[in-house]
Amino acid sequence: MKTKSPISGKYKYGFHKPEHYVFKSARGLDIEGVRNISLHKHEPAWMLERRVMAHMIFTKKALPTWGADLSTIKFDDIFYYIKPTDKKANRWEDLPPEIRDTYDRIGIPEAEKKFLAGVSAQYESEVVYKSIQNSLSKKGVIFLDMDSGLRQYPDLVRQYFGTVIPSGDNKFAALNTSVWSGGSFVYVPKGVHVDLPLQAYFRINAANMGQFERTLIIAEEGSYVHYVEGCTAPIYSTDSLHSAVVEIIVKKGARVRYTTIQNWSNNVYNLVTKRARVEEEGTMEWVDGNLGSKVTMKYPSVYLMGRKARGEVLSIAYAGPNQHQDAGGKAVHYAPETTSQIISKSISRGGGRTSYRGLVEVFPGAHYCKSKVVCDALILDDSSRSDTYPTMKINEHQTQIEHEATVSKIGDEQLFYLESRGISKPQAESMIVNGFIEPIVRELPLEYAVEMNRLIQLQMEGSVG
Amino acid sequence: MKLTISHLRASVEGKEILHGVDMVIKSGEVHAVMGPNGSGKSTLASVLLGHPAYTVGTKGKKTASAILLDKKNILSLATEDRATAGLFLAFQSPIAIPGVTVMNLLRASYELRHAAKHPKKTEPVQNPVLARRFQVGSMAIGDFMNMVKAHAKTLRLSEDLLNRGIHDGFSGGERKKIEMLQALVLPHEFAVFDEIDTGLDVDALRAVSKGIRVLRNKGVGVLIITHYQRILRYVKPDVVHILVAGNVVDTGDYTLAKRIETKGYGVYLS
Repeated sequence: MKTKSPISGKYKYGFHKPEHYVFKSARGLDIEGVRNISLHKHEPAWMLERRVMAHMIFTKKALPTWGADLSTIKFDDIFYYIKPTDKKANRWEDLPPEIRDTYDRIGIPEAEKKFLAGVSAQYESEVVYKSIQNSLSKKGVIFLDMDSGLRQYPDLVRQYFGTVIPSGDNKFAALNTSVWSGGSFVYVPKGVHVDLPLQAYFRINAANMGQFERTLIIAEEGSYVHYVEGCTAPIYSTDSLHSAVVEIIVKKGARVRYTTIQNWSNNVYNLVTKRARVEEEGTMEWVDGNLGSKVTMKYPSVYLMGRKARGEVLSIAYAGPNQHQDAGGKAVHYAPETTSQIISKSISRGGGRTSYRGLVEVFPGAHYCKSKVVCDALILDDSSRSDTYPTMKINEHQTQIEHEATVSKIGDEQLFYLESRGISKPQAESMIVNGFIEPIVRELPLEYAVEMNRLIQLQMEGSVG
Repeated sequence: MKLTISHLRASVEGKEILHGVDMVIKSGEVHAVMGPNGSGKSTLASVLLGHPAYTVGTKGKKTASAILLDKKNILSLATEDRATAGLFLAFQSPIAIPGVTVMNLLRASYELRHAAKHPKKTEPVQNPVLARRFQVGSMAIGDFMNMVKAHAKTLRLSEDLLNRGIHDGFSGGERKKIEMLQALVLPHEFAVFDEIDTGLDVDALRAVSKGIRVLRNKGVGVLIITHYQRILRYVKPDVVHILVAGNVVDTGDYTLAKRIETKGYGVYLS
């Protein structure tokens, strides 16, 4: 089977399946719509209250003006809630064939078969398929879609929901809080190590549909979990909005790694708020790859609250024609001896634009903390662009802060070298680009690393002629 | 086979560097090109592989420049096609490519050269950097890696280097040896070594020279570009060319190299 070159303007995964929905809310968003979502899900009163409050904040807050251009988002044209099927499937075979087929075409089965037991896949606004590994529940680990999490563990959700990212944080956090649907709820008890990565697959499949997942991960003392999400989306003529909120609580001595590869189609606004609160000696690692979308604004953050807490953000951004990737990371040091590292690699091509936007903030009293920021940009042609907007607010003397930034182009000598080895120019370019992002790709699970390299290669090889 | 360089003229930024170089190298022969700084030696190496900075010119000249592999003129071929047609260049100062490991580059290059020789038998390389396939050309991946490691060992190259970005942070000697390693691993008909001897200590020079002898014994035609006669003590050339100011001013056997060593290029410069 031949894959069409993505450069012809057609998105590689630009197919879409007929829609079969049980319930579809009207376009646009008013307070009644928000109430309907909550009613439809039979949520507790406090959640309805949260949604309504958040909706008020959303309508009052202005769009952020400091980053990418968001003025073309038409909030009134978006469906805020869609429920694709009335029943949830427990097994892969129980999924509707067209949904399975969609996953097949993205090439998920390789990973799916391997990790079937740990997979939770999201289609449309709600998780329709999940299969929880038996050993997870034996260890007391909870891995559910957020809606089920709220139903089954309302007290736990209530205790943590919105504590890391309150509705008032920003306009899109407010929007998400008012209309959220789907996402994951993960709870890892004290001292438990989850060996297999927990994986969730996401996919948008309706024009004008918003995706507002809400993910909450709680890692109790000394526990460990690796959560992985990856997504691709079909192309549509009208703009789509993806605005997720991810909150993570890393308790004392726990370690959480959160890996994302996102490849939204080029009409999606991807505006995500991700933040982790890290307590004493805890470790939070964000690994974040952004390939698709029209506009991405995403700055995974670590709030280092306890002594010796550690935070790491590794991010890759790729911007092709008509794309703007505004990505980076934030590290906020509240406690002494905390360490953070932000490594960002960006690639822009064919008029694409990448921006690194980052914050390192050290509060008074957070002495002996260390932070290192490295941002490298690779610009593939003269029509593309890359900017760096680092912000440092250091209010403590005894700290060690490093910042490095490089901007490079693929050199003619590098190309000639590879070509002299028999490698064609487009292939050579993709090798160089893949080499550039290799330090981050090697942190990805194997299937994702392969997929990442293949996506880059497809983008690059179509770029010629 | 025969590599014929015929009336080769080449210029960079409008300035002609080579003024019509002629040379014929047969399979299994070792030729040396010697000459003072700035005589066009490295230009010759670059032009053979089609470096984009150089224009191969026949402007207003009656005889056209040509580079022939047997009877096939490869001048119009792109660099990668010259490589798969059977040319190999060991660079004087190879550039670093971070993240593209030596092993992955060798695999990708080996497969492409193999595929060019055995059309349709292998699929094109899907992903040279991270392909997890089990074949390299017609070899099992394990055999291929063992072959690479064996060559690395004879060159006294640390295996660690094989999994690092090529030439990224490598020492001068390591760079030269990695170039030699590629020459040994990758199949080709004619190899050009651009100052492979510069900056090598005696042991490294011996190892590299041994590599060249191995290639010669396999029937590869070799062109050694050098300032010094030193390497030629270890690899005795069949033919020595003296290149001065873009012209081959003298051609002879090994004794010519010895004469240069004692008397220098002065006799050609007047």
